[in-house]
Amino acid sequence: MKRLLGVALGILTAIGGFVDIGDLVTNAVVGSRFGLSLVWVVLVGVVGIILFANMSGRVAAVSGRATFEVIRERLGPRAGLANLAASFLINLMTVTAEIGGVALALQLASSVYYLLWIPVAAVAVWLVIWRVRFSIMENVTGLLGLTLVIFAVAVFLLKPDWGSLAGQVLAPSVPQQETAWSYSYYAIALFGAAMTPYEVFFFSSGAVEEKWGVKDLAQSRINVLVGFPLGGLLSISIAICAALVLLPAGISVTSLSQVILPVAEGAGKLGLAFVLVGIVAATFGAALETTLSSGYTLAQFFGWSWGKFRRPAEAARFHLSMIVCLLVGIAVLATGVDPVLVTEYSVVFSAIALPLTYLPILIVANDPQYMHEHVNGRVVNVLGMVYLVIILVASIAAIPLMIVTGAGS
Amino acid sequence: MTSASAPLPKAPRAGGRILDAQLHLMDRQVLDHDGVPVTTVDDLEVSGPALDVNIEPGSPAPVLTALLTGSVLGTRIFGGRPPSSRLIRIPWKDVAEVGVVVKLGVKGEPLDASWVERWVRDKIIARIPGGRHDPR
Repeated sequence: MKRLLGVALGILTAIGGFVDIGDLVTNAVVGSRFGLSLVWVVLVGVVGIILFANMSGRVAAVSGRATFEVIRERLGPRAGLANLAASFLINLMTVTAEIGGVALALQLASSVYYLLWIPVAAVAVWLVIWRVRFSIMENVTGLLGLTLVIFAVAVFLLKPDWGSLAGQVLAPSVPQQETAWSYSYYAIALFGAAMTPYEVFFFSSGAVEEKWGVKDLAQSRINVLVGFPLGGLLSISIAICAALVLLPAGISVTSLSQVILPVAEGAGKLGLAFVLVGIVAATFGAALETTLSSGYTLAQFFGWSWGKFRRPAEAARFHLSMIVCLLVGIAVLATGVDPVLVTEYSVVFSAIALPLTYLPILIVANDPQYMHEHVNGRVVNVLGMVYLVIILVASIAAIPLMIVTGAGS
Repeated sequence: MTSASAPLPKAPRAGGRILDAQLHLMDRQVLDHDGVPVTTVDDLEVSGPALDVNIEPGSPAPVLTALLTGSVLGTRIFGGRPPSSRLIRIPWKDVAEVGVVVKLGVKGEPLDASWVERWVRDKIIARIPGGRHDPR
């Protein structure tokens, strides 16, 4: 019974923790401009993140080594440092975007200007990292994030024409008012949002934090295999909401208030309350994960002591680096830069950095010195290679497309 | 120097396990006696003949004397060589086990390699309220 509860809790937090500010904004933007013609990208991205999150979790559980230790060890110091610089900067951008997202959601809930909420949000993130146990942190934000299910409920309440929705999903085409270039650009952005590298850093380091061993592999596989697709459905329902309400009205999403507009229309005030709680929980949870990920990547590259399971004084440089990251995030947001814009850029840059993260994981997951008998099976390797090609294409195409489309405008 | 035609003598059989420095030591995580991360192996120190000196036949093979860390990482990435006095050494006799990680047989806390960690802890992190709070 206890085991069953553990599995259920794991699945629920995987669903609630799946969506972050990148998924929220990108799905809403895409839904409001391209309808459902890009849903297939979310599906491709979800399968990819399942594949590699599972692989990195398995490496961490079997060998006790988290992803960035593996990256340094396999790529050597030079390529490893280039990788660290890229991953760390993108991660910092994501931290900034998530904290901005928390502040914007709190502004919607309280009418207090979001810049005033930013220091509050950042200090709250720090306090949780400083004091709260890892498992409690994960479970509370994950369960509260489940209130985002209201997006799926709103889809039903909006009483869509299911036939035409299915048609848009199954036979995707570029809408007349958009070019093929911006269609491809947003395909890459959606892919980057679904497969953000920090999720893999966090997932593998989390496995070390929670002291997973070989016996926990089955449960982690269930969490990922069931939780992530349902989380992906949640992302898709955000896009459907935008496609149903904003696309016909000619509104293209530029702010968080537009993201939640369809929920207000479909599910009323109660729905609005749910979605605000959900967005605060999801972005706050992701702010925790990204802040921790910046500490994890640095500490694992340089071999510092790390982990929330240690006293802060026993992982001093790890904690100091996270404090500095949060301060940098506050400073960037204090310039008045639009968090939604930061989010849009961060997902595309994530797509660019994807091969750097995923190639070393694939290599080590095949190394018997690390994995003993738990090396990748043939099916997983074939899928991994296919995804490596997709990731590489997306990564190479991202910058030219960004220039051609003027970042999608 | 042996001429190209004469075959090289067979290498002596090594006792025990053969480690490839590049593959099994460099850039591996170093853990102390209690499993606490100390550093990563940034470079290795090998005893042996000085540069540009002819090696006499029968002179002993070089041995690994220490794992290196600190500024040597910077010079390994960007080129150059730090002066010997700036190298932070973990003597090879402290190494207890080499596997997926390099395990030391001593506590990491008093090592030279831990001085930055100690400094950050004593000057900053331990002074913030709750810095020594056990999260478990």
